[in-house]
Amino acid sequence: MTKTTALIFGHNKYSHEIVRNVKDKYSNIRLFSLDENNKTENLPELEYFDLSDKWTEIQKSVDIKNSMAFCVLEDTAENIFLTISLRSNFKDLTIIAISSNKESANKLLMAGANKVIPLTETTSDIITNMLEKPISHKVLHDILYEESNLKIAQVQIGEESEFKDEQLTSIDWTRYNGIVVLSVMHEDMKSEFIYSSKAKHHIIKPGDVLIVVGFEKDIQNFENKIRSRRYVNWSHWSW
Amino acid sequence: MFKRWILDFAYYLDTSKSYQRRKRFFYNILENDKNKYKKYVDLFMILLIFISVGVLIREVKHHVNDELMFFSNYVISFIFFIEYMLRLWVSSSVSEIIVARAEHDTFLLRDVNLAKAFKEVIKVKLQYIFSVKAIIDLLAIMPFFHELRLLRIFILFRVFKLLRYAKSVQTLSSVLATKKFEFLTLSIFASVVIFVSSVLIYVMEGNNPDSPVNTLFEAVYWSIVTIATVGYGDIVPVTQEGRFVAIVVIMAGIAVLAFTTSLFVSAFTEKLDEIKEIKTIEGISKLKKFYLICGYENVSREVSRKLSSHANEIIIIDEDPLRVERAKKDGYRALNYNPGNVESYDKLNINFDKQVKAVLCLRENDVENVYAALTIRSFNKNIFIMSLLINDSNRKKLEFAGINTVVYPQELVGLITKELIGKPVAFEVIHELRSENSDVQIDELGITERIVENFPTVGDLENSRFRVVLLGVYKTANDRFYFNPLDDTLLEVGDYLLVVGYQVFIKEFEKYLHTRAIND
Repeated sequence: MTKTTALIFGHNKYSHEIVRNVKDKYSNIRLFSLDENNKTENLPELEYFDLSDKWTEIQKSVDIKNSMAFCVLEDTAENIFLTISLRSNFKDLTIIAISSNKESANKLLMAGANKVIPLTETTSDIITNMLEKPISHKVLHDILYEESNLKIAQVQIGEESEFKDEQLTSIDWTRYNGIVVLSVMHEDMKSEFIYSSKAKHHIIKPGDVLIVVGFEKDIQNFENKIRSRRYVNWSHWSW
Repeated sequence: MFKRWILDFAYYLDTSKSYQRRKRFFYNILENDKNKYKKYVDLFMILLIFISVGVLIREVKHHVNDELMFFSNYVISFIFFIEYMLRLWVSSSVSEIIVARAEHDTFLLRDVNLAKAFKEVIKVKLQYIFSVKAIIDLLAIMPFFHELRLLRIFILFRVFKLLRYAKSVQTLSSVLATKKFEFLTLSIFASVVIFVSSVLIYVMEGNNPDSPVNTLFEAVYWSIVTIATVGYGDIVPVTQEGRFVAIVVIMAGIAVLAFTTSLFVSAFTEKLDEIKEIKTIEGISKLKKFYLICGYENVSREVSRKLSSHANEIIIIDEDPLRVERAKKDGYRALNYNPGNVESYDKLNINFDKQVKAVLCLRENDVENVYAALTIRSFNKNIFIMSLLINDSNRKKLEFAGINTVVYPQELVGLITKELIGKPVAFEVIHELRSENSDVQIDELGITERIVENFPTVGDLENSRFRVVLLGVYKTANDRFYFNPLDDTLLEVGDYLLVVGYQVFIKEFEKYLHTRAIND
């Protein structure tokens, strides 16, 4: 299920980058600022909010289940407070928050964020990978962020899939239809690497999600074969 | 005519490459601490010193065989003599002084005054000859004339020669040299106390038949033993007056001792950082490869941790003492140097092209990063520089400063959120692959000649047997990544396999690739 509304809390460099990257993906983007003096350029109209628990206006105008909130306030304490305030009011809202370090990332998760982007760790991971594993960094970066032909996708096994009831490891996924299967996710299971001991004895059932890498056309062929479509289910998200 | 010959010879020596090369070689092995052979020369000299001292001790009560005596008296002395002459030779350049004088006089349209040049030569050579180290060196050669029994004691001067080779002793003397004035004051004070008390005790006790103080020398001896708080007790005052003097000397002795101790302690405390810095720089110059990180803030701290956990050496320089302290506490080699100052890199004394893998400008401030990058680019055009970018409007400035790769955290947030929306689990998978904490990793395995011989094609690799997913092959020759290559794809030396799997299985797979016998 794809979300239709993006609620971005915070008016700073992060919110600018988020709007720039997600504007094509959402039909409705709403940008909120704590400071009433802020002005926007080339951005959606700026709305104002405070950290009190008055979310009635948003509740009325937005379908919370189909929304995603981005908490990107630069002040860590305020960001945590905002997250906890949103979570206490909207149980079904998917919340993504940024944190400056691991410590505040843990607090944000405790406050109810679904996903936290720890800035320092992420940046240092990127830098280390660029230096230590330049080729894999480039390939993964291209797969994730660039408009390369190589894609990563998550596809769900359909009811009439030919793989149904087969053991996961009995199929040579790596040579299958030009795609590479990296991992599998089964119901409440976290995503498991294809060669992990848990995944080894796993019998494929309808509803399992495969994480595959391949060229767009090959992924489409693969989807047709297993009678499935691209799949996003936020409730399965692991962190 | 004779003058002409001398000048020609001086010019010849000054410009002769082979002569200069030889002289530089001897200078390096004798005086240059950074020379890799110097420590062997030093160790050899230390060994000779211990042999001669050992012979001296043995000779007191035992017979030492003639060969060993000959070795100790003549061979070692001869080696020390050669060393002395070489040091005298490399201490300054005679030809350079003569040439400089000739150039000077010619420029002023005067006759070359060789007398002045020789005067200068004698001055600089004498300066060396009368230096403490050179005097000790010379005295260490004296046992050569061992027939003069008194001169045999000069063997002990060979022990002093150890000072030349033991760096810690040099450090000690340099530390104490910083407190020259205080030590001078102390010695004047101690001398005055010793002098006054010696005279007093001599006057008070000299004529007393019961007193052991009979000569002025005994009085001085008593004063020194007392002031040093040693108090052997072999000489003690017996008169009331003498005992009163003793009380004063004992109190003065406590003061002298306390003053001396505090001087040593303060000298070392003040110099401790400097000594540590010298040690750190020495350690850095021995490193083969390392990352140079400019600035130690949040991102830098994480990057340092990750890089060092991959067995990389890292050096951190930062102008802020608190941040440097933090880096040191975290266990890194860190120096309080300004990354935007060329002098900092001169002090580091490193070979950028050979030793530095990459420079990382990780201050969370674009101005500082540009400044540091420009400084490094000013003396090295080739080194790879990576920098953090805090404000996107400064991107061009960073690129203009010669930074090869710019990392902009805000942009990463945007890109990540974009991916998170569409395929959260897939994103997590990739994120996990990159994260150091995950068991499943992506790795690059280089293809060597041996691997190509044993595994000519992708199909021969049998990676799935090792529970390793082959994502693709990176061909260095055409700088292209071939995703999920067909089994008959040929492998070439220099290619990289991009594999995904548990770290332990990847290691096993890599080992298998490298160790499989040719006809297995």
